[in-house]
Amino acid sequence: MLRARGLHKSYRMGRSHVHVLRGASLDVGRGEFLVIRGASGSGKSTLLHLLGALDIPDRGSVEFEGTDLFDRGDAIRRAYRRRSIGFVFQFYHLLPECNVLENVLMPRLVAHSLLGWRSARRTARRDAATILERVGLSERSKHRPSELSGGERQRVAIARAIVNDPVVLLADEPTGNLDARIGGEILELLTELNEAGQTVIMVTHDDKVASRAHRRVQLTEGIIKEMDGSGGDAASARRIIKEVAP
Amino acid sequence: MYKWFLAIRYLRTKLIAVFGIASVMLCVAMVLVVLSVMGGFLDTVRERARGLHSEIVLEAGTLQGVPYYEEFGAYLQQQLPGVVDIVTPVIYTYGIFRVPATTWTKPARVLGVHLDDYVRVNTFAGGLHYDKYYPGSSRLDPQSMPVAGVGPSGDLVLPPDLQQANASWRESEADPEALTAYDADPFVEAPYPYVTATPRSTSERVYAAEPGPPRYAGPERDGVIVGVDLLFARRTSGTFERYLARGADVALTLMPLSPAGNPMGELPSKVPLRYVDDSRTGIFEIDSLCVYVDFDMLQHRLAMDPQPLADGGMTKPRANQLLISTREGVDINEAKDQIAMAWSVYGASLGLDPDSQEARALGLAAVYTWEDMQRQFINAVEKEKVLVTFLFTLISMVAIVLVGCIFYMIVEKKTRDIGILKSIGASSLGVAGLFVVYAGAVGLVGSILGTIFGSVVVWYINDIQDFLASLHPQLRMWSPDVYSFDQIPNVVKQADAVWVASMAVLASILGSIIPARIAGRVWPVEALRYE
Repeated sequence: MLRARGLHKSYRMGRSHVHVLRGASLDVGRGEFLVIRGASGSGKSTLLHLLGALDIPDRGSVEFEGTDLFDRGDAIRRAYRRRSIGFVFQFYHLLPECNVLENVLMPRLVAHSLLGWRSARRTARRDAATILERVGLSERSKHRPSELSGGERQRVAIARAIVNDPVVLLADEPTGNLDARIGGEILELLTELNEAGQTVIMVTHDDKVASRAHRRVQLTEGIIKEMDGSGGDAASARRIIKEVAP
Repeated sequence: MYKWFLAIRYLRTKLIAVFGIASVMLCVAMVLVVLSVMGGFLDTVRERARGLHSEIVLEAGTLQGVPYYEEFGAYLQQQLPGVVDIVTPVIYTYGIFRVPATTWTKPARVLGVHLDDYVRVNTFAGGLHYDKYYPGSSRLDPQSMPVAGVGPSGDLVLPPDLQQANASWRESEADPEALTAYDADPFVEAPYPYVTATPRSTSERVYAAEPGPPRYAGPERDGVIVGVDLLFARRTSGTFERYLARGADVALTLMPLSPAGNPMGELPSKVPLRYVDDSRTGIFEIDSLCVYVDFDMLQHRLAMDPQPLADGGMTKPRANQLLISTREGVDINEAKDQIAMAWSVYGASLGLDPDSQEARALGLAAVYTWEDMQRQFINAVEKEKVLVTFLFTLISMVAIVLVGCIFYMIVEKKTRDIGILKSIGASSLGVAGLFVVYAGAVGLVGSILGTIFGSVVVWYINDIQDFLASLHPQLRMWSPDVYSFDQIPNVVKQADAVWVASMAVLASILGSIIPARIAGRVWPVEALRYE
């Protein structure tokens, strides 16, 4: 479903050139829960951004269901981000002026024109309410992000990421900013989503968090290597999460 | 949809937007006040300029005047009965005006008019001072000086015709404040000879006159109506210091010209006159220069009436202008063309020798509308309005820069939001559009508030001025002793308000374009990393 080949990416940092990805390749199947591991600064987030078409590689390709995301204009990547991808960030990245419900609705608002929204509004609100209930925040829908705890904010971010029913959920260190208990809850939620058929690609440098994925890959020196012991199922992942949670 | 949603949300929650709104509001209010006051000034000038003459003027173009004016007037009324209403001639010349009671003399533009017809073709009557309180009493024919007397009960009494005239004004005056103002100080605002006012207290005056009945005294002299600014100084309150009593002796020195334009007679002719009223057209250049006397008297004094010729014949009488009022609903530019055509047809029909003085005088005369006559004056005020509005609009350009700066700051502050929006599929154009819509909303709210604020300032500008003047006299912005109008124009035209508000919204949008483009170009990954 998602196929990355020979990805190269480098950044300029001051006078030096940092070559982060050096030909990374990866295949992700539908319904998979994939964890990308690696040391801090190894290029995990860069790889995730390339998979989500938030950034453009220097070389290489990313194909989604057979379509190369980088050999055409920005419109195809925009449509891909809008319809097929949901992002969850370490720092939540919620819009501070909007309440919980509005943050969750934002991808729908982006997808509709002013006139189109008139007809889509009711369905969108119903879907957002259902998702908020699913992530346990239906009572907090009118609250601003500043009035929520870290765990609640991340739930909102997950709700926003899945409101358009994306094919792939990309999570960049979703527990990295949370304490172990709350992080466990978030992982539980992601696992539940995966069990329901959601493809999840998660970046982490935490071994314990990573160990509950179906498959784990290691990003070392800009290249992806499959890790031993990967290929667990959702039940084993849940078990690991319980161990991680206090 | 998100553009509109977020723009309104940012507008409601961002304090920085308040600064943008405030700057747009103040600029809109400033331009609207300037435009309204200058526009009102121009409208008043135009209105008053229109009332100076008549709709159409046949202008001789020379001081020695044009012959056949009477015949042409009759010809016009016969040929264009649906166009021409009233035709009345005017003579103008220059003279020296003197008030014997004082030592000063002043240059004056002297107009000879048939007063009864003159007041029917323009708004001259509305500016007469005594004629307001004593309707019909301001005449230019020979007359004596009205002297107030003391009645049986000790009251001050004017001659019966003036008493009756005053009574008729009192009956017809609809404004009770005008009656109260007149009654409060009748002989100060309208002084008569030998009447003295002794203040008994700050709130009461006692008037005294020479004992005896009211009467007309002194020799009969032709009346003269004097431009108010020529005679009197204006107080800061807008009223005039009328030191000269009605009926006082004044004098004009005139210089007659022959039909060829040469001075006639041994010495300039000095004419004793009686000051019967003063006139206020509202245009200082007119009111500080013009005096109005009887047409026939002036024509005679200037030797523009029929003069004997060497061959035993007589010259034709001459006038400098023929004022022509048009009928209701007639387009004055079309009327001007018709009258100009009639003038050339009429001139040709006379069969004059083309080298004769009369033919040359006819050839010099031309037909103008009132606007043509005052074009120079109106154009000057129009240019002034354009210049002042331009200057203030230029100052208001600050709003564009300010909006640009504010939006640059907003974009900087909202970089992460831009990344979030792009991560969920928003386009560069859409993100740029968000900030343009936001700026438009800032401009719209600022414009609405600015229009309200500016309108309120304009509506109450005279009250504001009074308040400022009460704090310190030097804070008075509009001094009636400098300008022709007592009040600052205080009308806001809807079209002006809509234009200014629309321009402000456009300016706000323009100001946001560069920051919006910057926002649109933000790379999502960079934006999400932004702290």
